[in-house]
Amino acid sequence: MSEQHAEAHERRILGTELLWAFGVGVLVAAVLGMIVFTALTRNINPPSNVEHIDPKTLHLSGEFAEQNLGTSVGVDGSVTVRAIATQFMFVPHCIAVPRGRPVTLRFATPDVIHGLLITGTNVNTMVVPGFVAQVYTTFTSTGDLLMPCHEYCGLGHSEMWATVQVVPDNDFKPDRDGRVACAQR
Amino acid sequence: MMSANDPSTAEVPSETAADQVDEAALAQVMRVVPLGAGVLAGTAVALLVIGYLAIYLLIFLPRGAVG
Repeated sequence: MSEQHAEAHERRILGTELLWAFGVGVLVAAVLGMIVFTALTRNINPPSNVEHIDPKTLHLSGEFAEQNLGTSVGVDGSVTVRAIATQFMFVPHCIAVPRGRPVTLRFATPDVIHGLLITGTNVNTMVVPGFVAQVYTTFTSTGDLLMPCHEYCGLGHSEMWATVQVVPDNDFKPDRDGRVACAQR
Repeated sequence: MMSANDPSTAEVPSETAADQVDEAALAQVMRVVPLGAGVLAGTAVALLVIGYLAIYLLIFLPRGAVG
């Protein structure tokens, strides 16, 4: 008799465990589904650009030479920000971007691994020597945002930050070369 | 030679009256314990899920497209 009871208990325990496993499986499927759904419909993806660049010659020529850094507007109206993350500053220190327009941000580093995020947005990426980090986003409200380095890069890491100035679209006026600098205040 | 203390098969039945009472109590306990474990684990997981969903829906998604 007690053996039958023991078997019944075992069956009940197994039933409880299976029910729990099913519930957790539903949760995992729901979270994965949400992630895929927002990626497909709202364009929210982890930055996954893979693009090589020579870190030793960044400053000499090409896309990340100093005269090309900062915000520039292409002939088709697209806004691209190019910046260098180095020990221990971002170049340029202030980046002007328009509100409500898609902005592509591209970063490279000549020395060690850095990382950056822009407060109040989903911009968050590592900057690895030898690769170009690319993130695109749309800034939704005007103001000054902080862009600190969030990957330890040396003794000056805590002082490594830049300002992102989000300006209203009608204040965002590129000059003759399509470049936009921060408003001096 | 058998002493008085040696058990014989006649004196060790598979179940006694005492066992009957224990079976009922055991069944009662076995009914309640998985329920309690389920409530505890379920509450912990529910709190975590609610926290995750709140941050995802109220903070992450409103911050807009990124890629």
